[in-house]
Amino acid sequence: MIDATTSAPAIAAAVRAGKTRAREVVAGALERIAQRDRTLNAFTAVLREAALADADAIDRRLAAGEDPGPLAGVPFAAKNLFDVAGLTTLAGSKINADRPPATRDATAVARLRAAGAVLIGALNMDEYAYGFSTENTHYGPTRNPRDTSRMAGGSSGGSAAAVAGGLVPLALGTDTNGSIRVPAALCGVFGLKPTFGRVSRAGVVPLAWSFDHVGPLARDVAGLAAAFDAIAGPDPRDPACSTQPPARCSDALTRGIDGLRIAIAGGHFARLAADEALAAVGRVAAALGARHEVSLPETHRARAAAQVITAGEAGAYHLASLRTRAADFDPMTRERLLAATLLPAAAYVRAQRFRAWYRARVAEAFREVDVLLAPTTPWPAPAIGAPWTARIGGTEVVTRSHLGVYTQPLSFIGLPVISVPIVAAGALPLGVQLIAAPFNEAVLFRVAARLEAVGVVGVPSDSS
Amino acid sequence: MSEPARVDETDVERLAAHIGLTIPPGSRAAVAQHLAALLAAVRVVEEFPLPETTEPVSRFEP
Repeated sequence: MIDATTSAPAIAAAVRAGKTRAREVVAGALERIAQRDRTLNAFTAVLREAALADADAIDRRLAAGEDPGPLAGVPFAAKNLFDVAGLTTLAGSKINADRPPATRDATAVARLRAAGAVLIGALNMDEYAYGFSTENTHYGPTRNPRDTSRMAGGSSGGSAAAVAGGLVPLALGTDTNGSIRVPAALCGVFGLKPTFGRVSRAGVVPLAWSFDHVGPLARDVAGLAAAFDAIAGPDPRDPACSTQPPARCSDALTRGIDGLRIAIAGGHFARLAADEALAAVGRVAAALGARHEVSLPETHRARAAAQVITAGEAGAYHLASLRTRAADFDPMTRERLLAATLLPAAAYVRAQRFRAWYRARVAEAFREVDVLLAPTTPWPAPAIGAPWTARIGGTEVVTRSHLGVYTQPLSFIGLPVISVPIVAAGALPLGVQLIAAPFNEAVLFRVAARLEAVGVVGVPSDSS
Repeated sequence: MSEPARVDETDVERLAAHIGLTIPPGSRAAVAQHLAALLAAVRVVEEFPLPETTEPVSRFEP
């Protein structure tokens, strides 16, 4: 029986085998959205009629003996940063709501559809993806399905909440500084930020061109791999997209972890965290037999440089709108973007030079290790509307910005990362980052599959 | 991270005017605070003695 907890591969297998129809699966997802999304506020648009029509088309193709693809009948939704033909791409903003509908799908959306998945709707986010909380003033906050008084995280908060809440088994998000990994961790689902350039960003509104990544969120490792396999690969529409052919990750899940060198990231990745965040890393490390610690140099500066580059690029991108429509920006982003426009160019260039230095040092570290482990966030989901600052270890930090303290240095140099969910009974979820060298996503999937198989990570069956 | 640089409302108003941007009066204090935080991040990066030969990362491939 297909329900809110059924994984994407299990749905596709049932549809392809004729055990259920795509229409029934999609109707079930629409029903769950109708029941739960008034509380969660994950969706900003539900494409009911189009989704049912697409599902019918899948069923017709199967009846005709055709192969509708490996994700046949799997419902999915996309952060409203992605173009969807016929829908205005809000990017979480009021300003973009005035724009005409997109005329074609973003590449990642089109590729999932080509694999047989059925688009159900568009998902809430921080305005212009510049945040970690999805406390969107225009469209309301998205609520964490594990505790609806808490943030879903961001900026792909709608994506994580829709998957964690069992509304869809699969969602698309984007990650510039942690915007897939942070909400995946806070809501307790799997999230992949692929290598920079591995998945096309064509048809996605930019935040910072240097760091923008597209990736999937899912309820299980096989679903994450199936989605990644469907969307990865070259795309002439995205100038940053790699021309290297991608390795198929669904085939890596049964390879095991023999021979992999796995270590814990120390230094920066162990500072200013709640005890339970470090304990989560310890549980994962113990399950993998990882005892060795590796310290990446100057990681606090990598985070600072990521902040500078993000601000420089985002400020430049939005300058025209800030000149004419500042009042229409979300107060959660307006003042930060205004400040970003005032950064000196020399600071931006210095940060890009530091990026080259840091990338070389981290590449040296990955000659000695295949996978690094680090917390995804320093603490579980804060309350919606939490105070601007918080104290940890005697240090005052900015509550929302600090959620990205461990994710920003990694997207800064485009490394592939899977955030795996640790959900202990009675506790809020946390995430652990599995980090590899560029284009080594398959290694991450081997480790994630092992952790899932031994029950250390995963989305609990009561999460729906 | 280094202590935030001193930036006041007059600073942001003057800097913004150079790029044809008007900061709404109600936003100036917050913009000054955010710019100070960004400049503190800039200082963290600049304190590191980068080799002179280190070039910026570039994606441009003609």
